[in-house]
Amino acid sequence: MIEGALLLAGGVGAGLFGSLLGLGGGILIVPLLTLAFGLPLLTAVGISLICVIVNSSAAAGVFLERRVANLRLGMTLELFTACGALVGGLVAFLLPERLLEGLFTVLLVYVAITMARRRETPSPPPPAAAPPTEDPPGASVDDRDPGTELGGHAFIAQLSGPGYRVRRLGLGIVGSVFAGVASALLGIGGGLIKVPVMHVIMGVPLRVATATSNLMIGITASASAIIYLLRGGIDPYAAAPTAIGVFIGASIGSRIASRIDLRLLRGLFVAILLYTAWQMLQRAIA
Amino acid sequence: MTASIPGGLPGSATGAGSARSSQEPGPADPARPAGLEHTIARLLTTGTYASIALLVVGVVLMVVNGIGPLSGGPAFDLGRLGPDLVALRPAGFLWLGLLAVVATPTARVAASLVGYARRGERAMTLVAALILFVIAASVALAQALEG
Repeated sequence: MIEGALLLAGGVGAGLFGSLLGLGGGILIVPLLTLAFGLPLLTAVGISLICVIVNSSAAAGVFLERRVANLRLGMTLELFTACGALVGGLVAFLLPERLLEGLFTVLLVYVAITMARRRETPSPPPPAAAPPTEDPPGASVDDRDPGTELGGHAFIAQLSGPGYRVRRLGLGIVGSVFAGVASALLGIGGGLIKVPVMHVIMGVPLRVATATSNLMIGITASASAIIYLLRGGIDPYAAAPTAIGVFIGASIGSRIASRIDLRLLRGLFVAILLYTAWQMLQRAIA
Repeated sequence: MTASIPGGLPGSATGAGSARSSQEPGPADPARPAGLEHTIARLLTTGTYASIALLVVGVVLMVVNGIGPLSGGPAFDLGRLGPDLVALRPAGFLWLGLLAVVATPTARVAASLVGYARRGERAMTLVAALILFVIAASVALAQALEG
């Protein structure tokens, strides 16, 4: 009973932190389940994938309703994240647990550094200061679209939105495959990779990239969660309270985000991530 | 690079819903029909709430039956799902809820396939069909490796 309450509370904390800081929650759930509850890493990754799908589906519904997410672009890229996740889901069962723990340690340190370096951005930069979202004046479609080799002008135009044009679709596809593999191996949504790829490389506005990434996480995580589920990598007794907790935490977080001092929270979160990375590293080399 | 770490529900600190600005354009296009997006949004929301409801029932049954969450749950067995549900065993509701979680995004793609096919968008119809093929390949490969 107490263990169930602790799992639920841990899920609420992960969902709340994740929501307030713009994370899917996977980065916190895997260490929570392995370090605090002693679950095997593969089981923790499987449960984390379930939590990540719940979060994605709930958020993506709202993003689509508000017409922030780009459905066409998301579906095109998620075809490749799903391929990566399929490969990653199969490989995860072959890799030594210590290697996965080592990879997760690297991920934790990367996120901590990214968080620590992030500056407050109360409002998005004006278009002139955001060149990735704009095409250079006078650029022809052929100049800026390597993606024409992959599907032609009409398809690229379909993927673009008002005010921006999708560029470098080929690089976006490569990044998506990589994000899918990382998601399946580490139980994360993969947005850490997808958002920068879409925003910086493909020229998608940050707000749209974030929402579209969130939409894609569902299918990305599903492709590997199915493998975890059918191969015994998901424990339903531990997964349910954690997923419910994450859903509650994320729902609360989305409502109170505007009232929280994020600088203090971010500092605390960086400290937690670094401490968790140290614990995970010790586990990996023990 | 200051790209934010993504995720979270809309309205969160870095979530896309937090800072709508006229300066940063979105994909909303008044000329584009919104029916498909609306249908998919409803499907995702309904699927999420149904999944969570099933998981809550399963957890309540766990508590009633004195089952600890770290006691090691049963592996997934499709043949046991029906009998477990009829007998009000927690595993039945938990597995059904987890299946609903995993199936919700797939249902979204299936709905997209139908929607794009109706609109005559062949490229997107093909993309949706290929995604479903990858998901089906996941199921087939996992079953083959287990078998």
